[in-house]
Amino acid sequence: MTDARAAATTADDHGMAPPPDKPQATAPEALSWDSRSRRVVTIYVPLACFLFILLFPFYWMSVTAFKPNAELYDYKTYNPFWIGSPTLDHIHLLLFKTDYPRWLWTTMIVAFCSTVLSLVASTLAAYAIQRLRFKGSQYVGLAIYLAYLVPPSILFIPLATMVFQLGLFDSPLALILTYPTFLIPFCTWLLIGYFKSIPYELEECALIDGATRVQILWRITLPLAVPGLISAGIFSFTLSWNEFIYALAFIQSTEKKTVPVAILTELVTGDVYQWGALMAGSLLGSIPVALFYSFFVDYYVSSLTGAVKE
Amino acid sequence: MANIITRRGILAAGAGAAALHASGALAQLRVQGAAAEAPKLAIESGATLRILRPVRFVQPDEDIFRANAARFAERTGVQVRVDFVGWEDINQQTAVTANTGAGPDVIVGFNEAPHLYADKVIEVTDVAEYLGKRYGGWLAVAQKYGKRHASNNWIGLPFGGSGGPLVWRKSAVNEVGFQAPPNDHAGFLDMCKKLRRINKPSGFALGNAVGDGNAFANWLMWSFGASITDEAGAVSVNSPSTVEALEYLKELYATFVDGGTVSWGDISNNQAYAASTCWVTSNGVSLYFALKNDPATRAIAEDTEHSILPPGKASGWPSAPLSLNAMVFRHSRFPNAAKAFLMFMLESEQYEPWLNANLGYWAHPLASYRDAAVWTSDPKVAIFRDCMNNPFWNGYKGPLSAASGQANNEYVLVQMFASVASGQATPQQAAQEAERRARRIFRR
Amino acid sequence: MTQTQDPPLAWTRRRRELNWLERMLDWKPLLVVACMLPAVGLLMVFLTYPLGLGIWLAFTDTQIGRKGVWVGLENFEYMLEDPIFWNAVFYSVFYTGVATIGKFGLGLWLALLLNNHLPFKSLLRAIILLPWIVPTVLTAIAFWWIYNPQFSIISYVLIELGWRDTNVDFINTAWSARWSLIAANVWRGIPFVAISLLAGLQTISPSLYEAAMLDGSTPWQRFRYITFPMLLPILAIVMTFSIIFTFTDFQLVYAITRGGPVNSTHLLATLAFQRGIPGGQLGEGAAIAVSMIPFLVFATLFSYFALARRKWQQGEGDD
Repeated sequence: MTDARAAATTADDHGMAPPPDKPQATAPEALSWDSRSRRVVTIYVPLACFLFILLFPFYWMSVTAFKPNAELYDYKTYNPFWIGSPTLDHIHLLLFKTDYPRWLWTTMIVAFCSTVLSLVASTLAAYAIQRLRFKGSQYVGLAIYLAYLVPPSILFIPLATMVFQLGLFDSPLALILTYPTFLIPFCTWLLIGYFKSIPYELEECALIDGATRVQILWRITLPLAVPGLISAGIFSFTLSWNEFIYALAFIQSTEKKTVPVAILTELVTGDVYQWGALMAGSLLGSIPVALFYSFFVDYYVSSLTGAVKE
Repeated sequence: MANIITRRGILAAGAGAAALHASGALAQLRVQGAAAEAPKLAIESGATLRILRPVRFVQPDEDIFRANAARFAERTGVQVRVDFVGWEDINQQTAVTANTGAGPDVIVGFNEAPHLYADKVIEVTDVAEYLGKRYGGWLAVAQKYGKRHASNNWIGLPFGGSGGPLVWRKSAVNEVGFQAPPNDHAGFLDMCKKLRRINKPSGFALGNAVGDGNAFANWLMWSFGASITDEAGAVSVNSPSTVEALEYLKELYATFVDGGTVSWGDISNNQAYAASTCWVTSNGVSLYFALKNDPATRAIAEDTEHSILPPGKASGWPSAPLSLNAMVFRHSRFPNAAKAFLMFMLESEQYEPWLNANLGYWAHPLASYRDAAVWTSDPKVAIFRDCMNNPFWNGYKGPLSAASGQANNEYVLVQMFASVASGQATPQQAAQEAERRARRIFRR
Repeated sequence: MTQTQDPPLAWTRRRRELNWLERMLDWKPLLVVACMLPAVGLLMVFLTYPLGLGIWLAFTDTQIGRKGVWVGLENFEYMLEDPIFWNAVFYSVFYTGVATIGKFGLGLWLALLLNNHLPFKSLLRAIILLPWIVPTVLTAIAFWWIYNPQFSIISYVLIELGWRDTNVDFINTAWSARWSLIAANVWRGIPFVAISLLAGLQTISPSLYEAAMLDGSTPWQRFRYITFPMLLPILAIVMTFSIIFTFTDFQLVYAITRGGPVNSTHLLATLAFQRGIPGGQLGEGAAIAVSMIPFLVFATLFSYFALARRKWQQGEGDD
């Protein structure tokens, strides 16, 4: 891609100017060549390094997922970077000899429900704090934010006791109800920021026109806050998908486990790790979230800015 | 939910039967119980049971366990549901269950677990005494793990044990001029030095590895006559024998595999041994079978031998087997059904097929099962047969208690050795630090 | 603001009769309560109450399976003289500090790189988020293997290239283990930081750069006086979250080193878990966990005030 075209597309792509350190495409020929090689050195080479380092563990996981056991540790006869004789055994073991599809399904349900629950609760809370402006709303906001400071590793023992008392033990409901404790603070904070960016005048007009506050929330504020909601949703979904400690402590039955816990507890037998299946399981388990992200990453990016927009 | 259980049970029963059928000689039952009167347990009507146990080593373990449970359900009408959890999680799950007073009726935990929750579990003395009479008596460690300290009240029913002998490559040991690893400390060190010289080094876990790390540290302690507490449970770790063990390890560690073993977890030595990076280690039988069952490593398995680690000053094999130990919780609404279930599972009709199916991964806690076919099926597993008869346990020489379990789980001894091995502390400092920690742990 | 240009019209129609429910919900105090109830209720029941219970535990000698009695500050007193605890404090602070600097340095760099015009930009962004998406425990296991003292792929490459003769010591001695864990944490943290900062970068108006370029500024000056100040608000927030996440990190350390070798890499969270669950000393574990709270509050205040106040100084109100 030439610089001229690059510059042209940049302008309409994201509505921003060419990066500051890059001269305009109208620069003289010699300068443009010079800038191109400089661009390679300052942008593409570091970017390639980043990509390599960020992706290498995934490459390693994928290779392992298809390697026969004999090749796993034998670096002398087999090149560890490649697969001598690829096998689908691990995938087969994972999909047909374990409850993997069920784990995936449970995880999805848990992540989805706790995300929805957190979104509803945080939207209402953020709206009340940012727009209804009741007395002490700032302190409530601060308190919710501080709730984020409490790590699950402190909470899970007392929580386990409660989960039992409430009769939720070994039920996905236990996870659906406890995950919001670490989702709501973040979502609320993000949405407060987002609501800030929505002009007050819109609501004032509506109030004068006699709309109720519920109508305003439903018809005006929420539609405008969709990117923020999506962003909070993605964030919550990822965190619930990856949660480990609660899922480990509150779920006992094999078929009700979530993917990260199940993979670790069911594919490690004594002191033998089923490396291939472990890696295949974690990669497969990441696909739903990865898909989710590739659809919504633009919203995610734009809404994060919304949250802190001047 | 009920439907699922029954269906699963039947499926499992089928699979178990198939596994039994396939294993030929192992299908023979050889153990006959002596006459003894079983305790009369009135099974509560409408009883259902939830059992939690650690995951299998080998598939037939799970299949036969489920099949046995299904048979119990068939005979008694008690619905039984068995869940399997990871080895590292069983302690946590037991903790949660004990703490909250809800959850499974029976947990098959590890080692001292029933002693940690002594007030949360019911006594099973009647069942234990009956089984002891019927099957030649409980072996030494089984008695230790089953009975409340200094009493004859049983709070746990040991279900099986797994020892960790020395695992070595015959070719390497022969190459340095030994028929078998020497039985004394000096000779053993000499062998390791020679192995190091021919680049076929030994390696023992010194990382935070619950199984292998503690086993190795315990061997060092006990073979030098040291122990973390004395018979009364008073801390005795900072002793000349401990320092002697530490000095010995310092020399021994220098002969270990490249890269060191201070970060080794439970699976590290399996990896290293399977890759012929490490030639002498100690492990349960899992390592041998993993090698034997994979065509690519079968040659290593054939070259592998098991023997006991040098006993030194110890009277027997200084190794505490990892033991399965079943307990019935007080919160169970069907304690009699739970006890009947455990009794049923330990009767030869159920236990022997299960023992055989485990191929030697688990050794019996009751003396009569020494005649089971599994112990003659492969000469290399014979060494595991009597591992529950070792006079050693975690926390030796003291009583089993929450504290002895804690010392084990917090790696007090392992870390003492590791700090000397890695040069972070002198033997004296390490022993003092271990004493400081032990005093805190054993203060009650 | 572009949103002002097309206000939804639906509600501007004639006011229709409200039913009683709507009228009641329009009463502000009730509406506030109704709105706050789900969030506050959930947090109270599943967070505040257990937290209180946890703090109470810290002052008892509760063990797993045994109710404790009130022992006052005994747990804290022991903690203060326990070198393992102090080591965990040291490493938690060190780990958080270094990993945060690493994450933000590299993350900012990556964000600046991504802010250039690049082919397949969306795809790149999605790919870069991968380390953040895959469950931590599982990437930690992959790292555990990559750091394996005998089978490290990195050691293999270095030895094959002839750069080294022996395996690299990643997690076998205290300091190398500490650095290796930090590297793994940075690896996992970069994507989140980079994507968030990228979002911030895209809000900076290009006209600012154009004006600066007309004034003959150097790239460094443009970064120092435009990019950086404009990024501060989002930087402050992301950093606060990142510090909290890092300080309370558990899974990575637990899966890779378990706090070893010889307790040198215990974080407060892993030490609390180790004492509380496998060790069975719930009281002591809770005390260690509680001791994290002052650090967290301090870290939050620091990043919030040090970084966020500047935004207000620039004339932007609190709301």
